[in-house]
Amino acid sequence: MDQVEALDRRIEALRTEVRRALTAGDRERVTSLRKQLRQAQREWEALLDEELADETPFVPAPRPASGPLLPVREQVHQALTLLGAPAAPKLVVAVHEAFATGELTPTKLTSLRRDEERSFQSAPYSRPYYLCAALTADHLAPARGLIAVSSWPMATRIIGPLSLRVDFLTAAARLADHLERLGDTGPNARRLLWRFAATIPGAATSADAMTPAAVAAAAEAELAIHLDADRSHREAAAKRATDQLTSAQQLFGARLGRAAATGS
Amino acid sequence: MPDDTPHRLRQLRGSAPAKRHNARTVAALTGNPGCARRAVLDAAGVDKDALAKQIGYPAKFGQSQFAITRGNSFEAQVKANGYAELLRLLREVLGLEIEEVGSTDLNEVGGNATQEVRHTRARQALKAAVEGREPLTFLDHPLLRLDVGGNDVYLEPDLVAFHHDGVMHVVEIKSFAIIDEQADGAKVAAAARQSAVYVLALRRLLGDDAVSHEVVLVCPKDFSNQATAVKIDVRKQLITLDHQLTRLARIDTLVEQLPDGLSLDLGTHTAEELVSTLSIMEARYAPSCLNSCEMAYFCRHEAAGCTSALGTTVREELGGVEYVARALDLAHGTAVASVEEEEAAAMLRTTAQIYGSVAA
Repeated sequence: MDQVEALDRRIEALRTEVRRALTAGDRERVTSLRKQLRQAQREWEALLDEELADETPFVPAPRPASGPLLPVREQVHQALTLLGAPAAPKLVVAVHEAFATGELTPTKLTSLRRDEERSFQSAPYSRPYYLCAALTADHLAPARGLIAVSSWPMATRIIGPLSLRVDFLTAAARLADHLERLGDTGPNARRLLWRFAATIPGAATSADAMTPAAVAAAAEAELAIHLDADRSHREAAAKRATDQLTSAQQLFGARLGRAAATGS
Repeated sequence: MPDDTPHRLRQLRGSAPAKRHNARTVAALTGNPGCARRAVLDAAGVDKDALAKQIGYPAKFGQSQFAITRGNSFEAQVKANGYAELLRLLREVLGLEIEEVGSTDLNEVGGNATQEVRHTRARQALKAAVEGREPLTFLDHPLLRLDVGGNDVYLEPDLVAFHHDGVMHVVEIKSFAIIDEQADGAKVAAAARQSAVYVLALRRLLGDDAVSHEVVLVCPKDFSNQATAVKIDVRKQLITLDHQLTRLARIDTLVEQLPDGLSLDLGTHTAEELVSTLSIMEARYAPSCLNSCEMAYFCRHEAAGCTSALGTTVREELGGVEYVARALDLAHGTAVASVEEEEAAAMLRTTAQIYGSVAA
């Protein structure tokens, strides 16, 4: 029984560590800690089984609802960090489905940005990061249907004319790299990558013949063509944004009144 | 008095808010340009659907909510992830260069979705693209303006794609399937007519050379959800449209012919009063109206017994013979044909003989 108690304490300590690492945004540490945590939990279960085996037949306890015990915003943050660029809720959900367990539906994301904005308004910068808007380069207004992370540099959150494609290719390359690192991945992850690969020239001829390395290479190749032009747009707009906007507007975008439209 | 026209049209509409033309209604208008009733009702912005219901001839037509949802979700799908799927298709169909990926979202301007603001921004963006000032290839939902019979109509194509050789292409995303490279002819024709309206509006803005007469139709392929694209030549539709828009009877001359004080206010008039008011406006019913006009069932009822109600072909064949009963009399030889009816009467008699001999 002593062993069980010792493990109990260890699990508790690990959970605290995971939480701390997450808050700090240290993904790698979170991953390794979670691995240790799972290991400890398995040992704990095994010990308990041994204890019970002597007395009563083992009845497996119903597993609590699967999925990480993370709030929606953290799940979204994970997916966005993986993609490395502003993304639409649908894509966030697809990434989440491919790499994480637990249910995340687009409906859960609809109110997210508003909640984040409200939280920021009531207590600015009290969270380590906010899920915020991507800003259009011309009006610095919130871009429709994109979620970004506040801790990213301003230029990453600006959407210029070429940015949608650049972000798409960036995400494809990062996703491919991630798959390459993981090695054996589920069908969801491959399907997700195929959705990207199908529209990148030279990435893959068919879903079966697709290799993450080739997708990454093709994405990088097209990316190289757009990157410079896109960066100059983005940086110019980012400078404007930091100079002209209030801190709340920098995160959630400036909205144009009904009075007048100004071109850029 | 042309200044009087807006006032009279407002009076005709009554207190209800004005309904606006869209690409579908403009396309439908050109389908039956001679119909004064439709022209006046549309110009006045009368809610024809409500009007038809009130007088007891509800339109069994219109887009089902399911079709609209399906159309929107298919459009969202091909535009998702930075127009990824569209980009692949247009690179194949239009031969877009690899650099041509710039896009701008013209659905709203900084959170402002009023028509004037959107139209201004769309005009700026389109001109900037043509003049090469901004690297824009995909212009998403630009709001265009077209003058239809003296009235400004706002139109919104799904997408306008700009090609490096200096031409704009209208891209229309439709959710009907192209199966084995074949699609429903009527639907393609409707899409082509609708796209022609956009092409015309773009040409009026940017000049004829800047806008291609080839539009790109994006549809689901076979039974899948995968998209495919084809080019459609809309030159024929453009000529018809342009011709009919220019000769579309100027709305003030039509309105001038109506008695003063005419009103179709649904709130204050009974069905009978509405019907009598409507009968003052001359309609030209043709069977194709059933697909495109909310008033069609009323007009069909009104036109019952007229040869023109049987379709344009019959109307042309039986030029001069107005009623079906008269045509039958002529066919059976029980009536004497007048000078203008002679030709039609001879044909009717021959046909009747042939039918008679076959039936006997």
